[in-house]
Amino acid sequence: MTAAGAATTACPHCATEPVAGDCFCEVCGTDLAACRADAPDHVEITLDGVAAVGDRGHVRARNEDAVAVRAARDRVAAVVCDGVSSTRSSQLAARAAADAALEVLLGEHGDGPDVRSAVAAGAAAAAALVPRGTPSPPSCTLVCGVHDRAALTVAWVGDSRAYWLAGPGAAEPARLLSADHTAEAAAAAGTLDPAIAAARPDAITRWLGADGDAEPDVTVLTPAGPGALLLCTDGLWKYLPDAAELAAVALPALDLGGPRAAAAALVAAALTAGGADNVTVAVVPVHPCQEEER
Amino acid sequence: MTAPFTVEVDQNPYLAAGATRVDAVVTVTATGTGDAPADALEIIVVDVSGSMAGEKIRSAREATAVAIAELRDGVAFAVIAGNQRAQQVYPDAGTARADERTRAEAVERVRELQADGGTAIGSWLRAARGLADRHPDAVRHVILLTDGQNGEDAPVLERAVRACVGLFTCDCRGVGTDWRVDELRTVASALLGTVDIVARPEDLAADFRALAGAAMAKNVPALWLRLWTPQGATVRFVKQVAPAVEDLTGRRVDTGEQRGAYPLGAWGAESRDYHLCVDVAPGTVGTRMRTARVELVGGSDPAGSAPAGSDPAGSDGVLAEAIVTAEWTDDRHRSSVIDPKVAHYTGQVALAGAIADGLAAREAGDATRAEERLGEAVRLAAESGHVDTSQLLEGVVEVLDVRTGTVRLRTDANKADADKTDTDKADSIKADVMALDARGTRTIRVGRQG
Repeated sequence: MTAAGAATTACPHCATEPVAGDCFCEVCGTDLAACRADAPDHVEITLDGVAAVGDRGHVRARNEDAVAVRAARDRVAAVVCDGVSSTRSSQLAARAAADAALEVLLGEHGDGPDVRSAVAAGAAAAAALVPRGTPSPPSCTLVCGVHDRAALTVAWVGDSRAYWLAGPGAAEPARLLSADHTAEAAAAAGTLDPAIAAARPDAITRWLGADGDAEPDVTVLTPAGPGALLLCTDGLWKYLPDAAELAAVALPALDLGGPRAAAAALVAAALTAGGADNVTVAVVPVHPCQEEER
Repeated sequence: MTAPFTVEVDQNPYLAAGATRVDAVVTVTATGTGDAPADALEIIVVDVSGSMAGEKIRSAREATAVAIAELRDGVAFAVIAGNQRAQQVYPDAGTARADERTRAEAVERVRELQADGGTAIGSWLRAARGLADRHPDAVRHVILLTDGQNGEDAPVLERAVRACVGLFTCDCRGVGTDWRVDELRTVASALLGTVDIVARPEDLAADFRALAGAAMAKNVPALWLRLWTPQGATVRFVKQVAPAVEDLTGRRVDTGEQRGAYPLGAWGAESRDYHLCVDVAPGTVGTRMRTARVELVGGSDPAGSAPAGSDPAGSDGVLAEAIVTAEWTDDRHRSSVIDPKVAHYTGQVALAGAIADGLAAREAGDATRAEERLGEAVRLAAESGHVDTSQLLEGVVEVLDVRTGTVRLRTDANKADADKTDTDKADSIKADVMALDARGTRTIRVGRQG
């Protein structure tokens, strides 16, 4: 049996043929799974009603974020995942989770989108990458959003975020929709010793993976006016945490060039600010009035 | 015959750009009692040189009888009396199988032991070797008791020890204060056993009972830690760090390209920790590599049935395995963290080193250096909560300030026992120094980090 992530091509470092079932080169020790070219440095996806842009950034050697978006029938869905860099081959977890969650988001449901099942499917896909008990199994965060006639439904695990973007004085004001699952937040909620949280305040407390707690939080928004849903990894919001600031970058671009331009403007802003981390965003424009007219 | 084992690795795999040193603590644990106990061979070697006369020989007879009583039925055993030569006490030749009759006969013979002659530890070991050779598949253990310095030339003893390596485990005990800790440590260390002082002859029986009991609890004759490292990597060291510090680096037996094995000796239901340090070529930031594969193998041949170049995934004879990795990062929060277990044992090894240095300086008459190094040991022992070593140190130095490690060497004059004569005080300090020397390598463990 070949372990998940095991290599089938020669080691890129020393050209040794891999040993069956082994994720490491038997001569030089190189991690062969991590070398697989399945995490592109730059991603752009433009669809009718949704766009996504991702970039490796200036510092990280690998893009461990993943994004999956699709528009189908009456619904637009987007999933953004951020591979946890302290775990092995986390880009594989991000990819698997994003794809699996998207499938469920677009499936048929009686009462609207089932975001919890989507997150569970993403978590199962990430956990299935390695045998049970593997140390530091591939793990990732996830934030997903579905826009259908009724509303925006958002679910998240970890510190990838969802924002509602709107201009100044909008009927539905710009704001952060998600609440990070981090040590700092857990300490504030009284569920974690503040002394422990202080050591790594930004450490996440929930994630998708073989050893993770993937219980999502869910929020539903029925916008009173136009704007856009933004899903992003911390590579963006660590530089631009404020919803109004994000809106100021994204909305002019959205008006001029649509969601792809808005997503590109946001990623460009993160790269200009430093690009220390992988950065991935998905933008879903929302026009409540027009939709009522349909 | 083999118990189920686990091999666990504690490390911080994150290295700063350009860093090459990878540290990990490898914990080897026998997780069950395994099958029926293995065949066992117990040899008790008792010093009967002239200096043993009196209370020491009486206590040695008693202790040997107690150890014999600990032997379970069916175990092969023999008793050897040693002076300038080795003389078999029981049975007349070869070994006996323990039962009610043989145990009683052996004790009868032991009661007749008389002290006379010199000390030739090398010849005793050779006699034990002759017996051990006949029991290749048994868990083979020797208890060696002496009270004096070896009368043989150093190379004679060295050759004898070398001839016994891998044949049996040897726990060495010195009774009284006229023997040399370094001499017995050489023997015990090479033969994967322990060395200790039994200052008071009346304590011998309890010690022998414990040693024989522990030997009876071993059910795996020999284990090896087999290491794979990447091409171009250097194994800086492999040290046992719990229950005591023992450097295994020089014991490596090469088993193939990039592969070597280190002897761990016999095992029972126990757990030991090893500090592994490997130097590798630095990778680029973001890349990850396996810096070691650690395999636990049994048997007398460390290459096992998986010789060089064979498929390691076939892993015949591998009881448990784990990997050590490295990943280069520019995140200083990650790369600057020292794994708690690695940090703990680095401190414990430094403690053992400070004790050894301090005692050597004391022996050489360099009180300033002795107080500096033993002071550091006092501080390190206190910081790590090593109560046993702290107490041993207090027998040798007067502690003025634990926090700064300020100490004064104890002399006859400031030895605390007020009711003793000066000679007794001098003996008492000597015994404390020898106890610290013999036990200064013992470490305390930390719990596994969640």
